Amino acid sequence: MPHVLPLTMMPEGKEGKVVSINAGQGLKRRLVEMGFCEGSLITVHRSERGALVVVVNGTKYAMGKGMATKIMVSDC
Amino acid sequence: MANTNKMIFAMVVGILYVVFGILKMLEGFGIETGLAESLLIPGDFFGGFCFVVIGAVFLYAVKELSAGVHMGVSYVYVGILMSLVFMAVYLLVMGADLLMFYAVKSEDYEGWRIIDSMRPGIYLGLLSLIGYFYWKDRFTTEMTKV
Amino acid sequence: MEKKKITIALAGNPNVGKTTLFNAITGARQHVGNWPGVTVEKKTGKRTYKDTEIEVVDLPGTYSLTAYSIDEVVARDYVVEEKPDVVVQIVDATNLERNLYLTTQLMELGSRVVIALNMWDLAESRGDEIDTRKMEDFLEIPVVKTVANRAEGIDALLEEVVREADKGEHHEHEVSYGDDIEKKIIELEKIVGKDSALSGKYPVRWLSVKLLDGDENILEKIEGSSVATQVNSVLSTIKKEDYEAAMAEKRYETINTVLPQVCVKCIKGVTFSDMIDRAVTNKYLGIPIFLAMMWAAFEVTFTVATPLMEFVDMFFGWLAGVVAGSITNPVLGSLLGDGIVAGVGAVMIFLPNILLLFLMISLLEDSGYMARAAFVMDKLMYKIGLNGRSFIPLLMGFGCNVPAIMATRTIEDEKDRLVTILVNPFISCGARLPVYLMLAGAFFGRQAGSVIFGIYILGIIVAILSAKLIRGTVLKGKPSPFIMELPPYRLPTLKASAIHMWEKGSIYLKKAGTIILAGVVFVWLLSAIPAPGVDAAFASEEILGTEDSLIGVLGHIIEPLVAPLGFDWKVAVALVFGFIAKEIVIGSMGVLYGTGEDEDALAEILTAGAMNPLTALGLMVFTLLYVPCIACVGVVKKETGSWKWTLFMVAYGTTLAWIAAFLIYRIGTAIGWGL
Repeated sequence: MPHVLPLTMMPEGKEGKVVSINAGQGLKRRLVEMGFCEGSLITVHRSERGALVVVVNGTKYAMGKGMATKIMVSDC
Repeated sequence: MANTNKMIFAMVVGILYVVFGILKMLEGFGIETGLAESLLIPGDFFGGFCFVVIGAVFLYAVKELSAGVHMGVSYVYVGILMSLVFMAVYLLVMGADLLMFYAVKSEDYEGWRIIDSMRPGIYLGLLSLIGYFYWKDRFTTEMTKV
Repeated sequence: MEKKKITIALAGNPNVGKTTLFNAITGARQHVGNWPGVTVEKKTGKRTYKDTEIEVVDLPGTYSLTAYSIDEVVARDYVVEEKPDVVVQIVDATNLERNLYLTTQLMELGSRVVIALNMWDLAESRGDEIDTRKMEDFLEIPVVKTVANRAEGIDALLEEVVREADKGEHHEHEVSYGDDIEKKIIELEKIVGKDSALSGKYPVRWLSVKLLDGDENILEKIEGSSVATQVNSVLSTIKKEDYEAAMAEKRYETINTVLPQVCVKCIKGVTFSDMIDRAVTNKYLGIPIFLAMMWAAFEVTFTVATPLMEFVDMFFGWLAGVVAGSITNPVLGSLLGDGIVAGVGAVMIFLPNILLLFLMISLLEDSGYMARAAFVMDKLMYKIGLNGRSFIPLLMGFGCNVPAIMATRTIEDEKDRLVTILVNPFISCGARLPVYLMLAGAFFGRQAGSVIFGIYILGIIVAILSAKLIRGTVLKGKPSPFIMELPPYRLPTLKASAIHMWEKGSIYLKKAGTIILAGVVFVWLLSAIPAPGVDAAFASEEILGTEDSLIGVLGHIIEPLVAPLGFDWKVAVALVFGFIAKEIVIGSMGVLYGTGEDEDALAEILTAGAMNPLTALGLMVFTLLYVPCIACVGVVKKETGSWKWTLFMVAYGTTLAWIAAFLIYRIGTAIGWGL
């Protein structure tokens, strides 16, 4: 059964699906623009040192953990 | 252990860069070290600082590798890349000096010889160049793969 | 003898072997039911260890104790309200960081925690080395290694649990959130503490933290309490979104200081890009590496440009000679020679500098390093109220502010972008350098280099302070949380970087060809038209650039404005023309003092009494800070889309420049320095 969890909790190397973004309108829009839409596949490349590196739609992003806690994903 | 070579390399190059960097910084402050002339070290505080940074990157690799962290090799690669960047910078500066001497014929360049533009950044960079070719596969395959 | 009874709760992330451990502890003595009110399964079991009867409650698997899901709320409420004697957190040894996040939250709840480091055999077999002794020291929590599926370490765990339950005193652990947030926490603690129903039930600090965290569940609880209005008034003063992010980051920061010490060797599958990232984003080396790369870029920009600048200089010298030799009409000759060639030449001489700087920036960008630089600088930039991405535009400002301001387009957050645009002109562009070079060279001799360096530093300081000021007043708020694309590293090619260089550099060239050209012609015209009442021919030598020309009239009109700074009418005029392009300041001073292009002669006149070191310094600082050039103002208007902000920037900078020059001149004169 897939779990819904914040992006920060995804183990490295795992792929998940974005379920929701718990952020204000501005930030949410920004994230959606960058490809963090509901349903898009996301892979966690690296998760250490207060930041994580993720790949969404083939693009690599660095983001602060604070931002990442707001992105809820389901592991599949 | 496969990383021993890299560790020794990083140790030697790291110490060299740190020492030369400190000498450069001292000369930059106007403190005569006596070594400046024979080693062609110019007094240059910030340039010296950069050398110390490169040295520190190599020594960080030693620290991680000796602790058994395989990822420590990252620092060897980055150290090599940085020292190559600095080698290129000093070669460009040498090129600019050549232009000043031959094309501009500036008064400030009277009696200039190519050795005057020889810098530790160039000859220490040779060490990294060797390292680069020695571990070339790692650089080229990974760099072009992306 | 009657047995002692204790209750323990098992907490942990999903899939860490919690259920297996639960089974290993309780065996068949289990009871399965539901948590009150919700359809989440509740499992309890019993185990007698030595002379203690232990009731074990299996909490739902959760990643954290916020209120994201019902599971989390259930787990949290149980820990907070039922207050089990000990909470055992099952930690996946192969994924420490993620698991320790929950640990920090349990610690904040004030529970007694024992960590069961599960699956540590897996971690060990893949080469990780986890130092449990150190882990205990750092977290001040007992850590027991377990392998649940082989029932290893269960007795040791229970031993530790019983000992922890028996401990008289309990040490409270806290995550420290830094001054700003702590202040708010204390403020809330005072308010929440007044409600005895709340403070009796929950730890007050935890409630305050959760409120700042934007926890809806806690907000609901507060809503029905006696202190609701007070709490809401405090919360309305903060931007929740930012606090939430900042606090989560702080928790990870706490973990990250512990983790490298605890996990001596953690192996991960990596690419070469990841390896480079590891080094260049290193906590200690990241910023030094960045500084070294910047130094390399500037070294190339300024040293390698020298011979090229000589060539440009030679070219314009030759052009001036051709003009002088071939044009016999004095008016036309003066316009071309004194006006256009000298003026445009003075600007074009910096073309090599600017192109090389852009080439360096393009190389760094194309290699992929710039994104990491922004990432490395983010923490620092965040502190001054900017975003990591603001950094590249600020850096480009050293070349020319116009493309730099255009480069702010990569900053998505409107406020961040606006602040970056507004402070950008304080970063001293290449055009201002000749002004410093001339004045510092004339007045400060051997100290010229340090003085110029100081001016650059002053520009940076003013930019930083202004950013903080603007952030604290007109554009309130924290910079947006960091997110940025990290392109994979590539070996940059000269061709691609040259193209990018040209895209940025051509803006400067265009400026030289249009605005500056028009500007110098305009200056020349003003200085060639005789003042009313003066009987002289247009563009005749006697009036060119003297008080008898129109420019002199203009100068005398504005002189009172700058007189308190120790500037005379010629400087005033030069500064007005500096609005067209800052380079023109020196050029027009040359025209006004009648020395033309000859900078040595101008320096001689200035040092002979036209200025003193104080006014020279004042003029340098004024040039640094006052209204940026017309091209820059134009681009600010275009990028902000607002005259209000453009005028704000112009007024702010000019006021600042006036005050700074005034202080330098007045204080300097008062203490008799430099005279």
